Amino acid sequence: MAHSGFGRPGRRSVLRAGLATGATLALPFVARGASKQPIRIGQPSILSGRIAQLGISSRNAAQMVVDAFNAAGGLDGRTIELISRDSKGKPDEAARVVRELINNDGCQIILDSEASSGAFAVQEVVRETGTLCIHADSETTSLTADPKIRAANAFRCARQVLHDSIVGGSYAAGIAKAQGLKRWMTCSPDYVYGRDSSSEFLDYLKLFEPSVEAVGATWPKLFAPDYTENVTRILETKPQALYSALYSGDLVSFIDQGNLYGLFDQVKFFAINMADYTTLHAVKKLPAGIYSCNRYLSTFPATKANAEWSAAYDKRYSVLPLNWAWQNALAMQFLVEAIRKTGSDDGKVLAGALRGMTVESPFGAKGTVTMRAEDQTIVDYAIGWGVTIPQAPFVEGMEPADWTVITARETEWKKQKGWA
Amino acid sequence: MRATSREALLALLACAVTLLLAAALGSKPLIDTLMRLAIFGLYAVSLNILVGYTGLVSFGHAMFFGFGAYAFGLLMQTGMTSLPAAALASLALSAVLALVVGALCIRLADIYFSFLTLAFQMLLHAVILSWVGLTGGDQGLQGGIPRPRFLGINLADPWQVFVVTMVAFFASLLAIRTILQSPFGYALRMVRDNAPRAAALGLPVQRYKLAAFVIAGLFGALAGILMALYVSGAYPNFAFWTLSGEGMFMIMLGGIGVFLGPVLGAAIFLLLNDTVTRFTEYNGMVMGVVLLVVVLGLRQGLLDVVMARLRPR
Repeated sequence: MAHSGFGRPGRRSVLRAGLATGATLALPFVARGASKQPIRIGQPSILSGRIAQLGISSRNAAQMVVDAFNAAGGLDGRTIELISRDSKGKPDEAARVVRELINNDGCQIILDSEASSGAFAVQEVVRETGTLCIHADSETTSLTADPKIRAANAFRCARQVLHDSIVGGSYAAGIAKAQGLKRWMTCSPDYVYGRDSSSEFLDYLKLFEPSVEAVGATWPKLFAPDYTENVTRILETKPQALYSALYSGDLVSFIDQGNLYGLFDQVKFFAINMADYTTLHAVKKLPAGIYSCNRYLSTFPATKANAEWSAAYDKRYSVLPLNWAWQNALAMQFLVEAIRKTGSDDGKVLAGALRGMTVESPFGAKGTVTMRAEDQTIVDYAIGWGVTIPQAPFVEGMEPADWTVITARETEWKKQKGWA
Repeated sequence: MRATSREALLALLACAVTLLLAAALGSKPLIDTLMRLAIFGLYAVSLNILVGYTGLVSFGHAMFFGFGAYAFGLLMQTGMTSLPAAALASLALSAVLALVVGALCIRLADIYFSFLTLAFQMLLHAVILSWVGLTGGDQGLQGGIPRPRFLGINLADPWQVFVVTMVAFFASLLAIRTILQSPFGYALRMVRDNAPRAAALGLPVQRYKLAAFVIAGLFGALAGILMALYVSGAYPNFAFWTLSGEGMFMIMLGGIGVFLGPVLGAAIFLLLNDTVTRFTEYNGMVMGVVLLVVVLGLRQGLLDVVMARLRPR
């Protein structure tokens, strides 16, 4: 039976009407959805393997800032979506992951939480794509200091080997002078970071206290399980003081094995990477009197803001934050401030805002950290040296560094290199 | 039509279709994936010249991948060579390296051969790490690889890098296929199946093995050069044993006895790696399970199984 025009509606007309109504009702949401696309930030990092802690603490810290930004309403309702991906510590995989984050996932910004070799690979990708990038974990000075490697769209929000060496050399020179430590030896991992760190530390130590002499060096392999040979070599050489750039599990093993030989009763030990909670907690019997630079300490700077940030991190992840955590939290804070200030997610606009930007931060030497415009790297972050004690807070007597000394020496060093 | 002409036509057609498809879709992720597939596919096929066709299980093939990448990158960073000259010089140097290493390794058989190749690879890896002034040590070649124009080609443009990579990939596949289908290629199979018999028939077995080693090293180095272009750098893990292991994994996944098996293996490997990495950090666990399934379940590569079913009984 045929239906009349005013009779029962046919199946097709019902479908058409339904679609039209649906489309009309959905249109505002679709339109709103399009304008409320999240700002996507890609984070390549090492999330698996022996140094997965690097990526995990980086991701945790960045996510805390993102969540706070989103909870506060984002940028006119636009939230930030952090997409973290594992590079497995391989530079070529880091390059692939970054390309994927940019080309496939539509990330407008890269928060690079790679170790140094990965960071250099990421740098080449973003140089090509022009994507805004903040390196938050690479401490290699040349990444932003060398004009040939630097990129206009890439920033660094991490401590630098050079800064650490100037501060370490200056602090150790004071101790050497006071205690008459003339004979120094180094024991650092046998790769670029270890060798650079040792050589720059000795350079600045000699600069600040010319009477010291280097009497030997031993270079354990990275991730070496046994340090007997190195400990024996140190005991045979009989230095008065020992500098080490060993870190994480390697430093823990070295101290545990050195304790068996009574090494730390015989030499003054300067371990630049000692003061990080994972390391401090992992050593079986932490000797008192090890001198260390702060990696991250909730007690340095001794401010309420720093203690609260550490407590919030601990509460959320049930673990204390590490050096990589504060660097990534700060990097994300810089991005969030730039987004708020410009009201934009455009990389070039944000880069313009980031150059020379100063933010209030728990990790600042005086409560603020600046993204220095000339080389797009952070300055005025908290650096200091103190002495270990066997129980919490593990490090005491922190002496903050003087940033006027750091920047003066840094400028001199850059001039010598022809980079200033 | 002669088989070689037919295969040349097929390679040309496949290259053209790939380029047209990529141009039509204009998808950057697709281009990235195809480039990596070409690089790792070529690397795996070059390794299979030794493993599948000559019966020489090399654990050190990444040595040539890494050497090619570093030689090319370092030459380009001098700023004194053109891009094709640097590529040709890198290939020539890689051939010399393969000749020297191969001459020493082929004297040994079976597991001893495998471990000597591994030892040479680890030696190169140690040199890369230690010679910081030249190689940048563990941080790799820094500052990118310059890409001056040549013959109107601009490899600073990602699309042109893609075209060059695809042309190099298909041309290399054709060259390797032609070599393996020649009398020389069949002699390699004879060496693989019964070396004493081949020697008894008058074949200079050691020379054939050495030639296979050099050819495999040459194409492995070419894959490394393409990778250096793709990532604009060279890194120590290019010459690390894990990359040699991944090459073996690709061959086992795709098929050892079929020419394109390693390319399929590389495709599966990359697909698995990229997909799994998007969702979890437990990439190694998933890859391990896949390898177990292939080894225990199929006992052959995928293309080996497919071809065995397709062949008339």
